[in-house]
Amino acid sequence: MRRSRRERRRERATLRALTSSALALLGVAGKASADTAIDHVETSYSFSTYSEDKLESSKTIPNGERNRFKVSTQQVSLAAPITDWFDMSMQVTHETMSGASPWYNTQDAAGTPIQIMSGATITDTRNDLNLHANYYTENGRLGFSGGYSTENDYDAINVGTDGELHFNEKNTTLSGGLGLSFDQLTPTGSDLYTLRPSQESKQSYSGFVGLGQVINRRSMIQSSFTYNWSKGYLSDPYKEVFGIGNRFFGDDRGGARHQFAFLVRYNRHVEETESTFHLSYQYYIDTWGVSSHTAELDWYQNFGDAIQIAPHVRYYSQTAANFYLPYLRLNQAPLPEMSSDYRLSAYGALSFGVKGEYAFHTPWFRDIEWRANLSVERYLSSGDLSLTSVSVPAPGLVNFTVLSAGLTVVF
Amino acid sequence: MNGVTRVLRALAIASLLSQSGCATIGETWNSMWSDVKLPDFPAFDEYTESPKSYVEIALEHDFLVRVKPWERSVLARHDMAWDPDGLEAARRNHTFFSKEATMPGGSAGGGGCGCN
Repeated sequence: MRRSRRERRRERATLRALTSSALALLGVAGKASADTAIDHVETSYSFSTYSEDKLESSKTIPNGERNRFKVSTQQVSLAAPITDWFDMSMQVTHETMSGASPWYNTQDAAGTPIQIMSGATITDTRNDLNLHANYYTENGRLGFSGGYSTENDYDAINVGTDGELHFNEKNTTLSGGLGLSFDQLTPTGSDLYTLRPSQESKQSYSGFVGLGQVINRRSMIQSSFTYNWSKGYLSDPYKEVFGIGNRFFGDDRGGARHQFAFLVRYNRHVEETESTFHLSYQYYIDTWGVSSHTAELDWYQNFGDAIQIAPHVRYYSQTAANFYLPYLRLNQAPLPEMSSDYRLSAYGALSFGVKGEYAFHTPWFRDIEWRANLSVERYLSSGDLSLTSVSVPAPGLVNFTVLSAGLTVVF
Repeated sequence: MNGVTRVLRALAIASLLSQSGCATIGETWNSMWSDVKLPDFPAFDEYTESPKSYVEIALEHDFLVRVKPWERSVLARHDMAWDPDGLEAARRNHTFFSKEATMPGGSAGGGGCGCN
C-alpha cells in the first residue's frame, strides 16, 4: 500500500531528528538540524462570510433599523523556507464590511434600554498585510514581524519580535515577544456629526512570556502571560451616549488601558481513536474594570489520513467596564468617562462550530498535498449566559454566524 | 604491611563475605545491622502486585518522562500544533477581538483595526 505524503513527511522528520541526535552523540553534527526552518512551501486560501443576526424588534424602536453587520473575508498565506535555518511567511487579508452598527441606546416606555442603529450606511474595506521572518538556531528561534492594515477611516502599522528557547532536551520551551502598533483614525462624517473627531491616533505596546512543557509522547501544555498597554484615542468615534431629555455625548473611554491575559493551553492525542483534543482557558483583566473567562475545547477526530472532523465549543463571560452605562438618566450629569458600547457591558457568550477537512495528494501532479476545508461557527451572546448576574443586559448584544471554506497546498 | 592497610583489607574481606551470605563472618556482619530500621516505603499495591520504584511507575504511566527526539512522531502531528490552521486562528482571534472586550493572549503585537 502506498504511504501517504503526510506519513512519509512525518517519517522523514523523525528520521532527521534521530540522525541529528545520533550525530550530536558522535560529536560530528555541524549545523543545527533538529529545529529547522520549515522544509516545504505551503500556501493557503480561505473565504469566509460573517453575518450578524437581525436585532430583535423588541430591542429597538418600532420600524427602526434592525439589520446589522456583514463581513466577507478573503485570506491568503504563503510560507516558504529560504535556507535550512531561515524561513519567511506572509498573510494577506481583504475584507469588505457593510451594514448597520449600534449607535446609542435610549429607553422604551417601560424604561428598558433599547438600541438605536446607525442606519445601513456603512461600507468599508480593510486590507491587511503581515510578514514574519524566522531565524533558527540549535536550541531556539528568533522571529521578526511587521504588518500594515488599512481601511477608509483607519490605518495601523505594527512591528514585533518573538522567540523561543528550548531546553531540557527540548521538552521545555520558553517563549516571549514584544510588539508595537501605531494607529491613525480618520472617522468619516466628522463634518456632519459634531461629536465625532476628524483625526486621532493611538499607540499600543505589548509583550508576552510563555512556558511550554512536553508532558509525554502524546500531550503537552503551555501557559503564557500577555500584557498590553494602549494609549491615545481609545474611544469609538461612531458611538454616542444618550441622555434622557435629548442630550448626546461622545463615547469617551479615557486615554490609557492596561490589559493582562493569562492563558493555559493543553493538547492531547489519543492514538487508539485517532483523536486530538485541545483545551484552553484564559483569564483576562484590565484597568477599565473588565475581567473575563474564556474556555475552549477543540476535538479533532481523524478518519484515516484523509478525513478530519473537528467540532469545537467556546464559552466566554465578561464583566462590564467601570464607565459602561446604557444611557444617562434624566438630569444625570455626564461622567468624565462613559460608553454605551454593548461590547463593554457584562454578558456571556457561547459559540460552537464544526470544521471538516479532506486531505489528498496528487501523485500524477508533482505529488502535491492538498487540504480542503469547510467550517461553520455560531456565536450567541446574552446577559443570561454571563457568570455574574446581569440585571439590565445591553440591548445590542450580538449573535452571528461564520461560514468558511479554505484550501491549503503543500508543495 | 602497616596498620591502616590491614584494617582496610579486613573490612574488604568482611564485606565480600557478607555479600556471599554463607560465611559465619558474613552472618555476624549482617546481624550487626539487623537492628537498623529501614524507613517504611509506601505500598504500591494499588498500582501493581509487586512493589516498583517511582521511576518504573512514572515510565509505566507515561508521566513526567523526557520525550526523546525519536519519540516525537505524535507531538509532531499536524493536529497537535497549537494552531493547526493559521488562517482560521487569525480570523477567529480577529472576530473575537472586535466583538469582545478581551484581547487574545499568547502573542504580542498584531495590528489595530477600526473594528474595536
